[in-house]
Amino acid sequence: MEEMLEPNEMIVHLGPQHPMQPGPFRLNLRLKGETVMDAEVELGFIHKGIEKILENKTYLQGITIVDRICYLVALTNEECFVGCTEKLLGIEPPERAQYIRVILEELSRLQSHLLGMGEFGEFIGFVSMFMYTIKEREDILTLIDMVTGARVTHSYLKFGGVRDDLPEGFKEKALPVLNNLKKVISDYEEMFNSDRIYRERTVGVGVLTADVAKNLGVSGPPLRATGVPFDIRKNEPYLVYKDLDFKVCTETAGDCFARVQVRLNEMRESIYILEQCLDQIPNGPLFPEGTPYGRRTPVMRVPAGEVFHRVEDPRGEMGMYMISDGSDKPYRVKVRGPYYPTLQALPPLIKGTTVADVAAISGSMDGCTSEADR
Amino acid sequence: MDAMTIIESLTGKFPEAISEAEVESPIRIRAYADKEKAKEVCQYLKDSLQFDHLCSVCGVDYPQRNEQEVVYHIASYDHPVVLMLKARLPRDSPEIESIVPVYWNANWYERETYELFGIFFKNHPNLKALVLPEDMLGEWPLRKDYEGFPNRTARNLV
Repeated sequence: MEEMLEPNEMIVHLGPQHPMQPGPFRLNLRLKGETVMDAEVELGFIHKGIEKILENKTYLQGITIVDRICYLVALTNEECFVGCTEKLLGIEPPERAQYIRVILEELSRLQSHLLGMGEFGEFIGFVSMFMYTIKEREDILTLIDMVTGARVTHSYLKFGGVRDDLPEGFKEKALPVLNNLKKVISDYEEMFNSDRIYRERTVGVGVLTADVAKNLGVSGPPLRATGVPFDIRKNEPYLVYKDLDFKVCTETAGDCFARVQVRLNEMRESIYILEQCLDQIPNGPLFPEGTPYGRRTPVMRVPAGEVFHRVEDPRGEMGMYMISDGSDKPYRVKVRGPYYPTLQALPPLIKGTTVADVAAISGSMDGCTSEADR
Repeated sequence: MDAMTIIESLTGKFPEAISEAEVESPIRIRAYADKEKAKEVCQYLKDSLQFDHLCSVCGVDYPQRNEQEVVYHIASYDHPVVLMLKARLPRDSPEIESIVPVYWNANWYERETYELFGIFFKNHPNLKALVLPEDMLGEWPLRKDYEGFPNRTARNLV
């Protein structure tokens, strides 16, 4: 990038640690005045070698490792990893376990979106937004904690089911939290719509069109904000999503405002899904009957084969490609995270904008560098 | 567009280059492509079969067969089928044409596959290390015979 520098241009390195960035990555900006002429992302500051580690751990140990890909969505990562293994084993969790998984994954989506919005507010100088959302997020984390016993990395899913049942009185504790959140989401929306500075910093900023977003490989809320109704829960239903009523939230503007709006509406849909699940959840076993799978997982050899399984993560399409050679450890696991292509799409998106908008655009993608870096 | 139609169209268009094509389920198909033709196959998939969403590109190492495989997972925003397209490469000189001109987001996937497996993507616009430090290039950590990086571990640096 230095070689291309003209006399009146300069390079600004944002990161790897910078308050406007979600996680450590370096953004090198070539600036002419305040205009971004070119941008380049540098990754690798927290590369954890998760794919290599998974090859050296048993399947059961792997569950705790995939939690660490991105701590905000540990449960969705587990769902993807466990889903791959279950497909290779040819087993399916019983209905109650599937409902419990959906409940936890939707709670996980709520807390991730809340933190994402709060961070975005912080990036554009709307710091009180972070205070509001982090408070609501605590209530959601407490609900997850009641079930899994952990707030961030849960190790809760198991092959064929879930580790424990919902605790006594979970529904009674969850419904008031969800009702409060419904009201709070409307408050946030009103706050966003009435705040002139917020609107000026987001409306028409970082516009992605549907064609460009598809070409860049973007998925999740940034794609849905361009009007493309692509959601794995609808396009390739897993667990009991096909029995649940919810709609895929889309916007058409494709700007920062639309991306946050999609997340707000998705939170409403998640609450609706949770209400249905809490009403409909059937009684029954947590593991498939007549199989060796249960709370005490046997030393497990997985039949040889390969599978690609994907789930809808709060950030988009999370997919894993798993190869088994018939031993007790996976031969190869490729993690295809949703933020990886979104982060890759950042340089073309910020080219031509002003330097102040970089924070807004980068923040509205709701990134998790830990997941991109793995 | 259903899985069977896609397979028939693909094998009809590239009878020589596509092999072992099979339908795993209504939403999953897989096939091997000749490494010389992989880019052309991808172009056809994108232009004619609505496979406009590249999920990932990755490598797999098979030292016993003295082979490596490049695996492309290609999906669509319009139909539910995901194609697992694979290409076999010799392990001592793994080289394949880059598909960045077809799928823009293959760029980082190919860079990562290169630095972790040593698979060289010909005509890639910028094939440099992405996630590892540049002095580790040439170690190929995701190959099965990788035994760590002993010379520059923290203990040896002190």
